[in-house]
Amino acid sequence: MARKKSGRLFLANLAGDSAGFLSKSLKRGRGETVKGRAILAVDPNAIQKLAAGRDIVLVSGTNGKTTTTANLARILADGTDEKVSTSKFGANMDAGIAAALAAKPRNRYVVLECDELYLPTMYELVKPRVIVLLNLSRDQLHRTGEVRKVAKLWHNAFTKDDVTLIIDRDDPFLEYAASNAGHVIRITFGGRRHPDAATCPNCSAILDWSLGDYKCSCGLGSALSQVRSDKRFGGPARNAVLAIEAARLMGAVVPVNLQEELTMNAPDRTMQFKAGNREVKTQLAKNPESWRTALSALTARQVILALNARGIDGKDTSWLWDIDYSSLLGKEVICIGERKLDIAYRLSVQGVNVNTADSFESAAKQFGQEPIEAIASYTAFQDLAANASGLRAGIGAGR
Amino acid sequence: MSLTIVRLYHDLLGTYGDQGNAEILIHRAKSRGINTELIEVTPGMTIPTSGNIYLLGGGEDGPQTASLELMQNDGGLKKAADQGATVFAVCAGFQVIGTSLPGFDGQIIDGLGLVDVTTVVNAAPRSVGELVVEPSRPGLPVLTGFENHQGLTKLGAGVSPLGTVLSGVGNGFDHQEGVWEGNIIGTYMHGPGLARNPELADALIESATGISLSPFEDKWANQFASERRTSLLASKTHK
Repeated sequence: MARKKSGRLFLANLAGDSAGFLSKSLKRGRGETVKGRAILAVDPNAIQKLAAGRDIVLVSGTNGKTTTTANLARILADGTDEKVSTSKFGANMDAGIAAALAAKPRNRYVVLECDELYLPTMYELVKPRVIVLLNLSRDQLHRTGEVRKVAKLWHNAFTKDDVTLIIDRDDPFLEYAASNAGHVIRITFGGRRHPDAATCPNCSAILDWSLGDYKCSCGLGSALSQVRSDKRFGGPARNAVLAIEAARLMGAVVPVNLQEELTMNAPDRTMQFKAGNREVKTQLAKNPESWRTALSALTARQVILALNARGIDGKDTSWLWDIDYSSLLGKEVICIGERKLDIAYRLSVQGVNVNTADSFESAAKQFGQEPIEAIASYTAFQDLAANASGLRAGIGAGR
Repeated sequence: MSLTIVRLYHDLLGTYGDQGNAEILIHRAKSRGINTELIEVTPGMTIPTSGNIYLLGGGEDGPQTASLELMQNDGGLKKAADQGATVFAVCAGFQVIGTSLPGFDGQIIDGLGLVDVTTVVNAAPRSVGELVVEPSRPGLPVLTGFENHQGLTKLGAGVSPLGTVLSGVGNGFDHQEGVWEGNIIGTYMHGPGLARNPELADALIESATGISLSPFEDKWANQFASERRTSLLASKTHK
């Protein structure tokens, strides 16, 4: 699709490319955010201009944004004859989105990961055809405020029918967020108790969860679902189902067995990191919900837990007490990271056999030859990934 | 000797991990040979009046109002507090035990009135961050916690705070943080507050049971509390 570039936008893009290259070559990060900032510094309207006339999907929610964005971009590329631009490395605020739009400005399709708080603004700026809302649960309370505040922000933003929302309606916060919207595709997985939704996000009455799904006297949740899916699906599989629906809506031909492939091999954020000469399978976990998922997936008897409390991790570690660690009873656990004592104390109160170490390597050294697995909070995982790729530890994320 | 802990509506008042306070009390009491019982009160249950310590946590505006209505209709907490039970209330729970507070829609509503404090809406941005407090009562070290609240809380004339703010916002008036009046303790400190301040947990058990606790060397509790205290006091000096 040919578009005329404005002079300012052209300069903006050029500035972005140089800054991104410089940043990469200095190994100071992945370049996307720096590149986007340079673009926006030269042309503050670059996002609207780069988005104009393109077919855009936004993906937002607490957990699974980056994976779902990547899945959806791949399904669209495979299932259409069009080229697809997409977010890189989880850069999901204005700068990252500007960089993703600028990368291949002639690609018709764009799949953008969007931070929860930026979503209303990005909806206005990029005029997406589809917005995929994955889930909402507690995350970085010091920054985003409470779950209900995010749900209300979305509820107030989505009041028109110029976009289709695709939501997991089993999450009452999403049902509330979409309840003013003109066009919603609701997907149900048969209902499940939401740990943060004892009361109705709409009217504040106590929700009735007695049948495994929410019911409220105000009527929240009574809208019929368009798609029914498998009750046994976990978070990554549910997100894959939402991505497939979005791709279909955008015109992609989706192979019949793709859902099975994606849900069976849901690529979670798991990497192998080296600790000395040991390979340690490490899961990224960012908030109570993703910690619960990660804990339930542990199979090794020797476990390293890495915890920081920098901005992205959530500065308040109180949520550690909302998680049940009984799956760690009988295992050996070593805590590392800047807030290792927060989690070590919490585990000790639950009777878990716990110790601490100063680094990933020294934790691994304390263990025997049996397999070791790890769970790392956001910045702890980033540091491990940065070390593994030879980059300096402690770089910021895209968000 | 036994200790009955009543945890109130942790589905509603449990956004900030404050339900951990019950586990810490149990852990510390059991280690001193005190039998403990935990009663979980959920919506629809009658609040027992025979508990020794009642715990209320932090929550969002809607659930806060919902829990307040439940407790007002039930009356059990007020009765227990009048009979001398210890109440430890955090954040939204702290606001709820006062005489008035902003409701779900922002209008001022009546609280439970267990203690003479009133909460008003803060026009300034939300108070979010680490809180460091010099306690009012002797025998306690510097207290720390993480605060995250919109309301500001004013103590009535002659009502004692939990302590004086060394850094952070706290109640937002006169550098005061929390309340400690008789058997009623309120605070803005999450962490949970009793994990970050094990000595305060012991003070609650002593207040509730009337017995003097033997010292307890809990390695992880002490390391954690002192690491927080030391690093926050150090960063305060550097400001």
